[in-house]
Amino acid sequence: MSTSLRTLAALALMAFLILPLLPLAVWSLAQGWRFPDILPAELSTTAWAYALSPQSGVLESFGITTLIATATTLIAALVGLPAGRALGLYRFRGRGLVVLLLLAPAILPGIAVVFGLHGILLRAGLAGTVAGVILAHLVPVLPYMTLVLAAVFSRFDPTYEQQARTLGATPWQAFRTVTLPAILPGLLTAALFSFLVSWSQYLLTLAVGGGRVQTLPLLLYGFAAAGRNDLTAAIALLYILPGLLILALTARQITGRNTALVSGARP
Amino acid sequence: MFRSLAALLLLSAAALADTSDGDALKGMTWEQVVDQARGGTVNWFMWGGSDTINAYVDGYVAERLKADYDITLNRVPITDAADIVNQVLTEKEAGVTDAGSVDLIWINGENFRSMKQADLAFCGYTAMLPNDGLVNWDNPAVANDFGVPVDGCEVPWNTVQFAFAHDSAKTPEPPADMAALLDWIKANPGRFTYPAPPDFTGSAFLRHVFIHAAGGPDSLLGPFDQAKFDEVSAKTWAILNEIEPSLWREGATYPTTVTQLNELFANGEVDFSFNYDPAQFGLAVEAGTWPDTTRSFGLSDGTIGNTNYTLIPFNSPNKAAAMVVQNLLLSGEAQLEKAKTEVWGAAPAIEIARTAPEVQSGFAAIKTHPSVIPASELAKAALPELQADWLTAIEKGWMETVGN
Repeated sequence: MSTSLRTLAALALMAFLILPLLPLAVWSLAQGWRFPDILPAELSTTAWAYALSPQSGVLESFGITTLIATATTLIAALVGLPAGRALGLYRFRGRGLVVLLLLAPAILPGIAVVFGLHGILLRAGLAGTVAGVILAHLVPVLPYMTLVLAAVFSRFDPTYEQQARTLGATPWQAFRTVTLPAILPGLLTAALFSFLVSWSQYLLTLAVGGGRVQTLPLLLYGFAAAGRNDLTAAIALLYILPGLLILALTARQITGRNTALVSGARP
Repeated sequence: MFRSLAALLLLSAAALADTSDGDALKGMTWEQVVDQARGGTVNWFMWGGSDTINAYVDGYVAERLKADYDITLNRVPITDAADIVNQVLTEKEAGVTDAGSVDLIWINGENFRSMKQADLAFCGYTAMLPNDGLVNWDNPAVANDFGVPVDGCEVPWNTVQFAFAHDSAKTPEPPADMAALLDWIKANPGRFTYPAPPDFTGSAFLRHVFIHAAGGPDSLLGPFDQAKFDEVSAKTWAILNEIEPSLWREGATYPTTVTQLNELFANGEVDFSFNYDPAQFGLAVEAGTWPDTTRSFGLSDGTIGNTNYTLIPFNSPNKAAAMVVQNLLLSGEAQLEKAKTEVWGAAPAIEIARTAPEVQSGFAAIKTHPSVIPASELAKAALPELQADWLTAIEKGWMETVGN
C-alpha cells in the first residue's frame, strides 16, 4: 500500500517537473502553431538550426555562461569555506550581524543593488568584461554558498581533525582526508545552488556586462520579448541542460547516502 | 632587450588607433578617416529579436566590413534602446568620456531626444560620409526625428510607415479608413485591441485616433499647444472610451506590448495587428508565426511614417570605424540588399533615384512579400509624426482617462 502510494507520488512529482517542458520541446520544432491547433501544422528544424549555428551566437553564449557560472562557483567556494566554517563552528561577537550582512543580497531586490554596483565596477574598469560579471554574480551567490556551508559545519565535529593531526597528518592532509569527505555533500549542494544562481542572472549581467557579455538569459529574453516562441523554446531547452546534468551527476552525493557527516554527527 | 620590447608595445598601441576624439576626425578627409578605421571593432547595440535582421547584419554587413575595411562588427542584441541610453548616461556620470562601451546604436524618437538633450551623441559629422549625398535632407521626415531636428547627430537607416495586418481568410474586406475601423470595432465586439502606451506601437495607434479626432494633422504640426491638445484630447478620449466595451476582454485589460498583440492575432483572438514596420508582417509569416493568408493595408486618411537611424555616442572609442559602418549601411548596395523580401524587406532611407543604375534596377526588380503592403502604396496617404511633447502628453492623458 505504502509502496504503491510512494510510486504514485513519485510519478506525480515527475509529471509535475517534466510536463511543463513538453510544450517547449514541441514549440522548438513548430513551424506555425496557432490556436486552436492541438499540434503544430508543420514540424521544422529551422529554430534548432539557427540556435546551433555559429552565427546566432547561442553556443558561444553557452560557453561564456558556463565559464562565468563555474568561475563564480569556484571563487564562492574558496571564500565560502573558511567563512562558513567560522560561522558554523564558532560563537563570536557580531556573528548575527555578519549573518545578516551575508543574507542581505539574497533578501534585497536585485534592482536596488544593480546601479550602485555598476557604477563601482565602471570606475574600476571592469564593466563590460567577463571578470566584472563574475564579481557581480558573487554578490547574490555568496550568501547561498556561505550559509549552506555554515549549516554543514555546525554539524561537523572538529575533534576528528584534531585526531588526524595527533596521528601526524599535516593541516592539508587533515582537510583532504577528514574534513572534505565529511562536508562534501553539503559543499556540492552549495555549489549546485551557486552555479544555478549565477547561471540564471539577468539584471546584473545586463547592467554590468553592458550587453557585451552575452549570457544565455540575455539571448533568451531577447527572443522571448520579440515573440519568437520557436527560437525561445530551442534556446530554453539548451538553457536547462546544465542544471539537469549537474543534478544527475551529484544526486547521489547530495542525498547523503554515503556521507561521513551522518554517521559522525553528534548525538 | 626590454627597451625594444617597450617600444614594440608602444608601437602596437599606436596601431590600435583610438578614435575617441571626434573633433580630430572632423578635421580629416574621408580617406584619412577610413585609414584610422582599419582594423577597428564596432560594438553595435541593436534590437535583436529578429533572426532575419540579425542574419543581414552578421552576414552581409559584417562580411563586407571585414573584406573592404578589416573592421570587425560586433552586433550586441538588446531588447530596448532606452537601456542603452541609460548605460551611456551612467558612463558619462562616471567620467568615462573616451572609452565608452557603445560605438553605434539603432535608435529614433524619444531615445534620440534623450541622447541629444543630454549631449550623449556625437554630432556634426554626417556630411563627411560620401553616401550622405544619397539622403534627401530636404525631406522633413528625414531631417527631423519625431520632430527633433537631427542636426548631424545620426544617420538614417530605414524608413517605415504604419500599417495594419489582417487575415484575408477571416476578414476579407478590412475597413478603409479610421472612421470605418471604429465602426467595425463596435460591430465586432471583442475582436480588436491595441497595446497600452507607453508601448511604442500602441502609442502610434493612439496618435492615429488623435489625428482623426482633430480632423487631420495640419493643426497639430509644430510645437505643443495646450489649448489645442485639450480640445482634441477630449474628443479622442470620448472615442476611445466609447469603443472600450467592444475591445478584447471588454477593454478591462490591454496588451502591454506589441508582441502580445501579435500573439493574440496569431491565435485568432483578435482580427487585426499593426506595426510601424510592415516588413515585420512578412517576417512573421516566413517564421510560421502568422498564417500565410496574412495581408496588410493602410488607411485612406493616412498612416504615420518615420525614419529610424544609427547614432554614435559621444564617448565611443571607435568613432572612425563606426562612421565607416554608417557609410556602408547607407550605400545603395546595402540598402538594396536589406530591401530584398527574403533578406528583410525594409524600405530604404535613401533616394533611389540618386543611386547607381544597377542599384536602381535592383530596387525595381524587388517583389514585395504578399503579406506586406508595398511602401509606395502606403506612401500615397502619409501622415507626419507629431513632436515628442505631443506624444508624451497623449500617452499621459490616455493613462489618466482611458487606461485607468
